[in-house]
Amino acid sequence: MFLFVVRRLFFAVVLLLAVSVFTYLLFALLPTDPAALTCGIHCKPETVLANRIRLGYDKPVLEQYWQFLRGIFVGRDYGLGQTAFSCPAPSLGYSFNQHACVTSLIGETFPVTAFLAIGAFILWMIIGIGVGAIAALNKGKWQDRFATGFAAVGVSLPTFYIGLLVLFSVVIWFQILPFPSYEAPLDNFSAFITAMILPWLVLAVLSAASYTRLTRNGMLEAMNEDFVRLGVAKGLRLRVILRRYVMRQALIPIVTIAGLDFAGLLGGAIITESVFSLPGMGRMSIRAVVDSDLPVLVGTTMVAAVFIVVANVIVDIAYGFLDPRVRVSS
Amino acid sequence: MTENSVPVLSVQNLRVSFDTQDGTVHAVDGVSFDAYAGETICIVGESGSGKSVMASSIMRLNNSSTATTEGRILVKGLDVLSASEEEVRGIRGSEVAMIFQDPMSALNPYFTVGKQIAEAYVVHHPGASKHEIHDVVLAMMIKVGIPSPEKRIDEYPHQFSGGMRQRIVIAIALINNPKILIADEPTTALDVTVQAQILDLMMSLQKEFGMTIILITHDLGVVAEVAQDVIVMYAGHIVEQSHVDALFHAPTHPYSWGLLGSVASYGDNKRGGLVTISGSPPSLISLAVGCSFHPRCAHSKGEGSVCMTVSPSLRSVGSDGSRSACHLADDVLVSVGRGGFRS
Amino acid sequence: MKRKSIFGAIGLGLVASVIAASCGGSSSSSSSGGAPKKGGTVHILSMGEQIAHLDPQRNYTGTDLAFAASTMQRTLTSYKYAEGDAGSEVTADLATDTGTVTNEGKTWAFTLGEGGTFEDGSAITCADVAYGVSRTFATDIITDGPTYAISYLDVADYPGPYKATADQQAAFDKAVNCVDKTITFNLKVPVADFNYTTTLTSFSPVPKALDTGEKYDMKPVSSGPYKIESYEIGKSLVLVRNDKWDQASDPIRHAYADSIVYEFGLDPSVIDERMIKDAGDDQFAVSESIQPENLPTIFDDEAFKSRRVDYYDPFVSYTNLSVKNLSCLDVRKALYLALDRDALRKAGGGPYTGDYADGFIKPALALDYAKSKMLDGLNADGTANVEAAQAAMDAAKTSCPDVAKHAADGLVYYYPDTPVWAKAIAIWIESEAKVGITIKGSPVEASKYWPTVMNPDTNYDIVRGGWAPDWANASTVIPELFATSGGFNLTRNADDPDYAAFDAAVTAAKADLDRVSQGKKWQELNQYVVDRLWALPGTFLKSQSIWGSKVGNTYQWGPYGSFNFGELSINS
Repeated sequence: MFLFVVRRLFFAVVLLLAVSVFTYLLFALLPTDPAALTCGIHCKPETVLANRIRLGYDKPVLEQYWQFLRGIFVGRDYGLGQTAFSCPAPSLGYSFNQHACVTSLIGETFPVTAFLAIGAFILWMIIGIGVGAIAALNKGKWQDRFATGFAAVGVSLPTFYIGLLVLFSVVIWFQILPFPSYEAPLDNFSAFITAMILPWLVLAVLSAASYTRLTRNGMLEAMNEDFVRLGVAKGLRLRVILRRYVMRQALIPIVTIAGLDFAGLLGGAIITESVFSLPGMGRMSIRAVVDSDLPVLVGTTMVAAVFIVVANVIVDIAYGFLDPRVRVSS
Repeated sequence: MTENSVPVLSVQNLRVSFDTQDGTVHAVDGVSFDAYAGETICIVGESGSGKSVMASSIMRLNNSSTATTEGRILVKGLDVLSASEEEVRGIRGSEVAMIFQDPMSALNPYFTVGKQIAEAYVVHHPGASKHEIHDVVLAMMIKVGIPSPEKRIDEYPHQFSGGMRQRIVIAIALINNPKILIADEPTTALDVTVQAQILDLMMSLQKEFGMTIILITHDLGVVAEVAQDVIVMYAGHIVEQSHVDALFHAPTHPYSWGLLGSVASYGDNKRGGLVTISGSPPSLISLAVGCSFHPRCAHSKGEGSVCMTVSPSLRSVGSDGSRSACHLADDVLVSVGRGGFRS
Repeated sequence: MKRKSIFGAIGLGLVASVIAASCGGSSSSSSSGGAPKKGGTVHILSMGEQIAHLDPQRNYTGTDLAFAASTMQRTLTSYKYAEGDAGSEVTADLATDTGTVTNEGKTWAFTLGEGGTFEDGSAITCADVAYGVSRTFATDIITDGPTYAISYLDVADYPGPYKATADQQAAFDKAVNCVDKTITFNLKVPVADFNYTTTLTSFSPVPKALDTGEKYDMKPVSSGPYKIESYEIGKSLVLVRNDKWDQASDPIRHAYADSIVYEFGLDPSVIDERMIKDAGDDQFAVSESIQPENLPTIFDDEAFKSRRVDYYDPFVSYTNLSVKNLSCLDVRKALYLALDRDALRKAGGGPYTGDYADGFIKPALALDYAKSKMLDGLNADGTANVEAAQAAMDAAKTSCPDVAKHAADGLVYYYPDTPVWAKAIAIWIESEAKVGITIKGSPVEASKYWPTVMNPDTNYDIVRGGWAPDWANASTVIPELFATSGGFNLTRNADDPDYAAFDAAVTAAKADLDRVSQGKKWQELNQYVVDRLWALPGTFLKSQSIWGSKVGNTYQWGPYGSFNFGELSINS
């Protein structure tokens, strides 16, 4: 087991390195010139050249990448004399657009995305599994039809459209809630909740749709299994059957998919963050694409990749715990 | 048939139908029989005869949202079909136990076998201590013949072979000393050698626990091995109910004749291969008027005869306690005599 | 306040222009009745994630300059805090007057007034102003700002204060020197309107001890009525009153609101919806622009009348022609006459985008603008005049057969690779084809556009043009766009036979210290270019704004094309 974990970790690190190399290469191939983006119509060639040198893009890509890699372990220094500054390890670079070290930028924006992801995750699991279970237990009746309809509609609705619609109606037209203005929960808990409640609900309800379908179908399949019949034949109560037999089976694929979905969300729920003006990592990464801000781009891509990789490992291991048939005997 | 005062199981006029997209399927259409303590009754029939549905009805295992059940099933004085959910749960696993056909899928893959056997015990012994449960489970595992039970009690079903899993299923079924054991094709999915082991186990446990076994099978070899009484089902009806010897030597229904004729027997010098019953089982949606077997029956009297217009009822035939649901049982078959049925 | 006779003339000129301006207004305005009240919080709703640069020496965008200058960055001189044409006039800010010019425009001196302080209470000294100016030279760190200090000041080889040797710093201190409260700028070329240049925050004071170089953008030290309380990129910028700012020392600012909050990262359709609904705190808000699809809602409905405005921003768009390749006036005339400007405007968004330009100087530069005489045959409604265009092309076949052939074979038009421009190019191609002129569109990635076309090695026939004056004087338009010494001359007109006369006239105009006389010169030079069609006049761009019902003093500030943010007030 130990060796298994070590091997997985090693490959994860290799994967992350590959992601960073790939990001750098992709950036080098971009048609936009990042050095020209800050000066608008005042872009004289001298200005552009000065910018290129300042941003470090005049150096060969390999050297840029090496500086980046070094920075992760020993930190990185910029400027000289009175105006020198540095980004301490683990340095993912410095954003000249936002005048801050990428690591600290991620440190500020990631919690917002994390809170969004966690809240939405909890809600969508509750809604999705709950509605799906009700549908499965009332197969053919109105609850089932409603749940199936909800799942079909929810999966097809675009987050952007629904998010704007909810924002417009709740905040602007009917003024039920004030405009979301994010504050950290420890700073101002009520402002935090007010800012997060709509994005949580929108994201959760739309994500719950596919889980409703998964749960309903998983449960119906499980309920047809022989071992469930045996459980009933033992004289167990319905609640126990549902818990130990039906849900136990139905939830396994759901939990693993949810783990990967959640990890993807940690990389940044871009659309939700944009519509509800949440200062999260998703919005920052989109901004980095538009501004061609390479350090931020690489930083956020790698953070997102870390979560996907970690989630995959956890899901693999979790699957082994959840389903004994999958375990590799040591 | 041994008479032992009160039957442990009394099925009275059981009808089970299912709503499907194509119409109402009459899976069981008026079945009645009694079973007594210590008996072994085999129920025989082809697929679609209604034998499995009837067996599941005894514990009310059919899906109530799609199945409509009529009639009475008395178990220890309780009418299972009209009892409350709690009362039925009370007899499941305690008075009546069931084992299923496919041992590979009968067990919950996510819990250890020890836990699953224990579960069956705890349902009906809620106050039992951990120690007691452990001892009981272990004892049962030994009784059903699982080697090194102390080690294997914590293993998962996928770590056992098919035959071992069936033993575990039996252990689960018998842990509460049920009066009635329903076994739905318990050996069909097993190798021939394992089949024999399982049957032997079941028989010895029956002797030890004194329980009634209702064994459903399509394998006449098994019937010959273990049955005392045999019920033959066709298209949701009982067409013949006889003592095992009587059935094999003097079947009283054309269908039973056909079943026996279709068994490949070693050493027989039949020429021309297996004998089959031509045609196929009828649709259970549109019930035929008259005898449900008549379209395939060589003895049917044809147009306008009683075979086509009146549904035969199960009645005594002959003097050895056999019952048959054939209009012609008394005259045609008795006169045709034993041995040799030509289709 | 020392005045010399020449300066007196400028002063008279200023007064005259004020009178002239007050008789003709430009855009509709909306001050709510009565004097603005003090107190309240103004919100600015923005779809951006941050202000591009708050570092005074790096700030170069109209809206951002308006914001910074009116709230935190006092400069030597400023534009008047007034609406309409009056807003384009220069007045004193940190200095006691609008400067003393000597040496025929090569030496400018300003005396700092009393009582100017930074937000930490320390007095603003002459050295602070000089230090601020010197930062522009550190082009490796202080980037993106206007570089006029570098082009005008009489110092060579100065790398900025962070890297300068003692000798280099001494050279700078000669060019910009301080004697008590008087700062003197020694320029290497005469600049008649240097006191307009000093309205840029490039000339704002920066305390050397608190200079954080690259990071100054996040927390510049304020010399104005507001200071930064918090600045979170992607979230908000909160300004609160600078209690160390002395109203008595500041001749122009009023600082009505207690606090100004810039909200970032809002979706543009959300901004519009909030401004339209005007509910709750949004009544105290303004936004930066309106999405085209919402313009009819706001401008067709009388209900919005008191809180909307449709005005000229500082921008002009036009088309540069390579006079070198298209060295034939007849061909240039044909190009202009055949062009369907009406279709171009429609494709660009319709009448809200702007009006047809009659030159390169906008009416807001009141002293420099005069209605031009446009080309004969050019339709006032913007539609093409195909007959006149064809006549011009026919004339060209005899007057300049080579160029005419070149036009028929294919003129290379470099355009930015965006969906809007793809539509525009299609209209160009179709329009010009009607008179036998072939347009070959050549798309360039948007961020690379200007560097590409400004590269002298790039050979084109037609490129786009867009410009706004860096300060309210056409000296930042005509010379920049059409003189070879200009920073944005894409017309390649150096070999045109009429260029020499033009260049001499430009030099004379730049040195004319009489503002009114100078203005007349720009009018003539504008007409000169229009007559020769070195570039084709395009559109005087317009913007539209909306504000919350409780916001007051919402005039559009002419030189910047935005609200005067620091002057916004809240009417409760």
